[in-house]
Amino acid sequence: MFQKVLIANRGEIALRVIRACKELGVRTLAVYSEADVDSLHVQLADEAICIGAAASLESYLRIDRIMSAAEIGDVDAIHPGYGFLAENPHFVEVCESCNIKFIGPSSGAMQSMGDKNAARAAARKAGVPVTPGSDGIIETEDEAMKIAKKLGYPVMIKAAAGGGGRGMRAAHNEPSLTSAFHSARHEAQKAFGNDQVYLEKLIVNPRHIEFQIMADSHGHVVHLGERDCSIQRRNQKVIEECPSAVMTASLRRKMGNAAVKLAKSVGYENAGTIEFLVDQDRHFYFMEMNTRIQVEHTVTEEVYGCDLVKEQIRIAAGQPLSQHIAHAEPRLHAIQCRINAEDPANNFQPTPGRIDFYYAPGGRGVRIDSHVYTGYTVPPYYDSLIAKIITIGSTRINAIDRMRRALDEYYITGIKTTVPFHAAMMRNGDFRDGNYDTGLIDRLISAGKLSLSTRPIRLHE
Amino acid sequence: MDPKDIKEIKSIIDLMKKHDLSVFEIEKEGFRLKLQRGASGPQATVSAPAVATGTAKAPSAGAEPPPAAKAIESVPMKEIVSPMVGTFYRAASPDTPPFVEVGKPVTEDTVVCIIEAMKVMNEIKAETSGVIAEVLADNGKPVQFGQALFRVR
Repeated sequence: MFQKVLIANRGEIALRVIRACKELGVRTLAVYSEADVDSLHVQLADEAICIGAAASLESYLRIDRIMSAAEIGDVDAIHPGYGFLAENPHFVEVCESCNIKFIGPSSGAMQSMGDKNAARAAARKAGVPVTPGSDGIIETEDEAMKIAKKLGYPVMIKAAAGGGGRGMRAAHNEPSLTSAFHSARHEAQKAFGNDQVYLEKLIVNPRHIEFQIMADSHGHVVHLGERDCSIQRRNQKVIEECPSAVMTASLRRKMGNAAVKLAKSVGYENAGTIEFLVDQDRHFYFMEMNTRIQVEHTVTEEVYGCDLVKEQIRIAAGQPLSQHIAHAEPRLHAIQCRINAEDPANNFQPTPGRIDFYYAPGGRGVRIDSHVYTGYTVPPYYDSLIAKIITIGSTRINAIDRMRRALDEYYITGIKTTVPFHAAMMRNGDFRDGNYDTGLIDRLISAGKLSLSTRPIRLHE
Repeated sequence: MDPKDIKEIKSIIDLMKKHDLSVFEIEKEGFRLKLQRGASGPQATVSAPAVATGTAKAPSAGAEPPPAAKAIESVPMKEIVSPMVGTFYRAASPDTPPFVEVGKPVTEDTVVCIIEAMKVMNEIKAETSGVIAEVLADNGKPVQFGQALFRVR
């Protein structure tokens, strides 16, 4: 087992990794920007080193400073969390050349699956169904036009270097294809520094179902079931569940096997997630692979009874897959709501600032993963996630009602948060019926169908 | 008065300025200190409390403020901070003299120290001009981004 791990991240995931390390008896070194001096993960880590100014480009993305800190701190391994450098193959190579273990896949495996277009090719090769689309990068608008015509509209133009729902443009008919093609390339260039795009058939109102895989360094790969992440706002996940309300035992077996096969074919190691789109006839198509731990790993943990981050560290240290993970069986139902520092009544505008009072719900079956506290100032430089609330229940409806109960106790003042939005979702008929797709939220919002009532609570003032 | 006390008085003066306090008084371990901000800046009065039966001698009331304290409160200080993460070295090698000592004048291009990061020795320039007043970082010890290395008068 490692002596010391450097956590190359911030916020709730840095805290998550530090907790796993402490339970494993591993010392922790936090790196932080000047904006995160008072962050909880910095305070809880055994050691902490400031690596730069607030902007991510000056700190959390500075490979040179992170490696300096790793050298000074004499660490054995680095956990990249999610975002930042977590899916940067060059960073993995730097770690490899410095003899510091990167807690994740090899740079080769990351490269194969990180390029979205190459990942589709790997999936096709492994016999995994992929969304019908172009065979590779599309260079010209004429090429795009030809392929789109063959596939049939609507189509989606996607960035090869993309991810996180960005660098994508839909075209519903031929006249709109050209502008969609050029905007997608433009956004891809800006967001990822790479304007290569490919084309996919746009599956209308799909469900986004992803499979968690875990692979050790001895060739053993398993899947830990699915998560349904169809509740999205502008292609960003907001609510995730495990298991999926539309899953059947046989579909889970087919999709799970496809996920494991694909991971094995690229020599994948450590935690990863294979994302599929499932259409209304329950056909599934490989979409992309995330070569890191994900924000929503929590719901899998609750249902499969495991600690995925500890397992990541164990695997990186060379241990074989734990028995309880290799033979995990699902039990109960879990839901996660992502609480963001955003104002749901004001187009989800980000609301950084000081949290005057923070009270998190508790009680049976409620889990909170959060780095914030009373008096903490949410900085404006990073993503707006301030907490994840996860509830479990014996049935899906019980998990939903428990989440409704817990959200009604969640008290955060000083800034606006998305708690009222989630409270409204837990009461929404379509959501409760399990009858939804990736377009639900945007439809509800544009139809003004979400009533955001603030419940008066006399906890403070 | 020993250097530790002067350091303590300096930090009290900084705190007073920061929080806009006009008077600060403390009494402990046989001495009393009162700092008062007037138009010309903080003034210090130090006296030992009169001991009724003891043989300790009290300095005369209204004693001159110690020269060091006067120097601290009247001159603004600049800091040279680390632009990177690494190990701080005062000299180019173990057997050469340090780049700077207290009292050495520096200009913007004066090399004041080396910070070693990933086996690369980076020469750090003063980027300010003045005289080195204090060395804040320890030779051979790690420094982080933004850490104060020298105080410059």
